[in-house]
Amino acid sequence: MKNKLNLLLLSSFLLAIILVIWIYYQTTHRIGDIVFDENIDNYDFIVCNENRIKQYYSVGTNYQGGEKTIKKELNELINYMSFNESGIITYRFVINCKNKVGRFRVKMIDQDLKENSFKSNNIKQIQESIKNLNGWKAGKWKGEFVDSYYILNFKIKNGKITDIF
Amino acid sequence: MKNFIKIIKVIFTILLFAFLIAIAYFIALGPKERRLEIAENLQSLYFSQSMFDILKLQNPDYSDAYFEQSVAFNKSGEYAKGFELLDKAVELDPKLHLGYRGWIKLRKLRDFDNALSDFNTLDSLTPKFVDAPWGEDIDFLRGECYFGKKDYQKAIEFFKQNIKNQKKGWVDIYSFVYLGLCEYELGNYEKAISEFQRALNQSEFTPESYYGMARAYQKIGQVDNAKENILKAESNISYKRDDMYNEFLNEIYLSEILDFKQSLNLK
Repeated sequence: MKNKLNLLLLSSFLLAIILVIWIYYQTTHRIGDIVFDENIDNYDFIVCNENRIKQYYSVGTNYQGGEKTIKKELNELINYMSFNESGIITYRFVINCKNKVGRFRVKMIDQDLKENSFKSNNIKQIQESIKNLNGWKAGKWKGEFVDSYYILNFKIKNGKITDIF
Repeated sequence: MKNFIKIIKVIFTILLFAFLIAIAYFIALGPKERRLEIAENLQSLYFSQSMFDILKLQNPDYSDAYFEQSVAFNKSGEYAKGFELLDKAVELDPKLHLGYRGWIKLRKLRDFDNALSDFNTLDSLTPKFVDAPWGEDIDFLRGECYFGKKDYQKAIEFFKQNIKNQKKGWVDIYSFVYLGLCEYELGNYEKAISEFQRALNQSEFTPESYYGMARAYQKIGQVDNAKENILKAESNISYKRDDMYNEFLNEIYLSEILDFKQSLNLK
């Protein structure tokens, strides 16, 4: 009887510990989080608060003049870059509280919205162009500029970039 | 003393089991609608995703679970995963989810052809009923799709249909703004001005209309009218149509208004 009680107590205790750890992990991680990866991320880009990277739509992060302006500023790239496939290239990245961008991650889909891949040279070149844009405006939260995630889509049709949004 | 320790052990065992049962109820045993609501409110957390996974496992035909689970992926730009889930929701209950899928394709992906295909299918499933995907009139959304496709004639048809669908005084002013933009693109500048004016008749705080009129007046050589309207566009810019998630197809910005103002030699 005594052994059974000890066993019950121990097993319920272990289960509760495992559950608490699981819940903690599950409630502190989000879809789309970008953690620093030394293999692909630049050490020069620093976020202001690693534990508080918001979503662009919660804090009003934007580009001066909107994506419309990005389209104008990347006009040269749009004109000369060519692709073999159609679809959407999506860049998710961080705009830090000092209007700098980094930690790029890329997702690609084809016209049927299934995973796809485009020429890696182009992917890298577009990424560099995004970095060189000067109009990024950090989001504001409780009166303070904060880091946030942003998304920029490049639509590819008939071998060319046809839209940025 | 031995009894006391035993009682403590029993109490702890009961408390721990009560905790485990409460969590199990919360995650996997409570009413599915309540759990869906909780998971929806915790959207994007891994915890929420696990709750959706459990709901789907227990109720493979529960279309709302697939639909709600897709939201976090589409918001974070993981469209392949988002649409895999949304497609499943549509497969299970097309009437309920086709409108949202079309709306997301239009607003998030600017995938006009596929959005139109979803809206048209939904429309065919609900004869004699004007659908409102994600709260917006289906004909307004179809108009936006054709505007995006640069098929302005077809866009005009749908924006006009949207105006017909609404009761007088309740028309979405952006139908008039879009009609103005379509006429402008077709080179019908005077017609464009009168459409923009219809929006202003409903609300004088419509900077898109003032900006559109300024451009149209400039085209027909009425520079004074263009100047007057660009100043009004500038002073009303805070009322512009915008959305925290995505740039609208007809979205305007202060910077372009200022550029245009400068081009009219206005300080």
